[in-house]
Amino acid sequence: MNRPFLIYGLSGLCLGGLILLALSLGVAGFGWGDHHTLLILRAPRVVAALAAGLALGVGGGAQQGLFRNPLADPGLTGVFGGALAGIAVLLTFQSEIAWRQTSVLPLAAFGGALLASVALVILGNNKSPGRLLLTGLGINAFTAAVVIVLATLSPTSRELLTNGAYGDWLGLAAFRFTWLPCTLCVIASLCLFRFGTVWDYLSFGPEVAQTLGINLLRTQRWSILLTALAAAAATCLVGQIAFIGLLAPHLARTLIGPRHRLMLPLAGILGATLLLAADTAGRTLWTSTPLSAAGVMALIGAPLFIWIARQHHV
Amino acid sequence: MSNPLVQLTAVSLEIKGRRILDGVSLTAHAGEIVSLLGPNGAGKSTLLKTIAGLLPQATGTLHVHEHDPRTTSPATLAAQRVYAPQNPQSTWDYRLSDLPILLHPRIASIDWFAHFQLAGLMSKKFSELSGGEQKAAHLAFSLSSLGDPYQKIILWDEPTNGLDLSRQHLVRTTLTQLAQAGACVLVATHDLTLAYATTQTAVLEEGRLIAYGRPQATLTPEIIQSTWGIDLSLLASK
Repeated sequence: MNRPFLIYGLSGLCLGGLILLALSLGVAGFGWGDHHTLLILRAPRVVAALAAGLALGVGGGAQQGLFRNPLADPGLTGVFGGALAGIAVLLTFQSEIAWRQTSVLPLAAFGGALLASVALVILGNNKSPGRLLLTGLGINAFTAAVVIVLATLSPTSRELLTNGAYGDWLGLAAFRFTWLPCTLCVIASLCLFRFGTVWDYLSFGPEVAQTLGINLLRTQRWSILLTALAAAAATCLVGQIAFIGLLAPHLARTLIGPRHRLMLPLAGILGATLLLAADTAGRTLWTSTPLSAAGVMALIGAPLFIWIARQHHV
Repeated sequence: MSNPLVQLTAVSLEIKGRRILDGVSLTAHAGEIVSLLGPNGAGKSTLLKTIAGLLPQATGTLHVHEHDPRTTSPATLAAQRVYAPQNPQSTWDYRLSDLPILLHPRIASIDWFAHFQLAGLMSKKFSELSGGEQKAAHLAFSLSSLGDPYQKIILWDEPTNGLDLSRQHLVRTTLTQLAQAGACVLVATHDLTLAYATTQTAVLEEGRLIAYGRPQATLTPEIIQSTWGIDLSLLASK
């Protein structure tokens, strides 16, 4: 049987099963529960986790393709930090608008993520893969400082921002707030799929890619814009969460090979699966003190990150 | 004779204050194979990249297929020439069978890979191949992206570097066949056997073109002595 077909079928089945499980698990015990529990509490959370996971998986794969760096991930390169800092700026200085006009929040996150991405490209994009990650580390630290300072300045949004930094926003998911970021996650991911061949060509070096007909500057601009959009929309749903953007593409590459057109959609499915699994585990295994999806992901992701780094001799 | 496919007049290039190319003028037609020779750092690779359109900061007059490669869009140039770098690389560990699919998803052809004796290795990953096999795979990839060689320009940087004798011979015969099919080939090389199989040899030294012509007429003991500092009469007497 055709191997890609089999892998897509199996991962689709896994995700489907997980969705059913996530919908039927909760504080109230196993079962669909009443109409309210299912549709108001669980469904928005599941949908938000799926959309954010998709954007994280695809966005991570896209960033790795663009920077030709297996360790690139919006969480590690500071793009998520930028998105959260953008949200923090909005909540501190214009909090009334943010609550009245729900579309402003993704916009602020997008602005922050874009700033962080541009800084990353200008300061850290050269031949050494280590430099990109070190620059990302710096940007991450800086944006975290911005969030802390702003959270201290504005007591009203302090709890919300700290929860965001812990990746604990999925619990707040309600369709009124999440429909726009969810849609943006899907749109950004679909647009990013179109760049698959470009990143394949980039794998052979920028010079070969250019002689194969790729406009490098235009590719870089669009990739950065779309990865920033994906990261910003995902941040609006989850808060800051690392490692999904790293692990999902890595798993996809192991399963199906590195060709981006085949690998990126699988990375999206696996990202959605990972995030939903992490969130469901976090809220059901410790019902008295639910653990955030980011917490669960970091517990599993950090050791795997070290393992991948060792594999690639970075 | 037909119009030249590559025509350079007084092309110079400075990178960080260092002059890499110094007033190079060179003309190449369809059916010709030009070998670029010279010591390390003489500007061979830079000249190839300039013709490929990768160094827009070069000065002078450049005509490649009647376009100026510094200002022509990558897509237009890609339809006219192929370029294979000296040390090809790949971030991701593709299988050889992936390469033709990357170029032509629907009508992938492994013809050039078979031509370079790689047909039996198509299911292998890059990391499982030897250096010479990887180099041959990149040459096959480059030719797969070429299509019909008629009136096309092939720019290869040290194509025989790292190849075994059999594949080195294959490169020479392949380039001759491509030139006969109407391509214009430029190769940077240190391989004198390859140079003798070309129709023209250009010798570069410190960015300047110091000799140009048929290889037998260009690679004289005097030029070799003055460019590389090797006395051929001494070597012959040993």
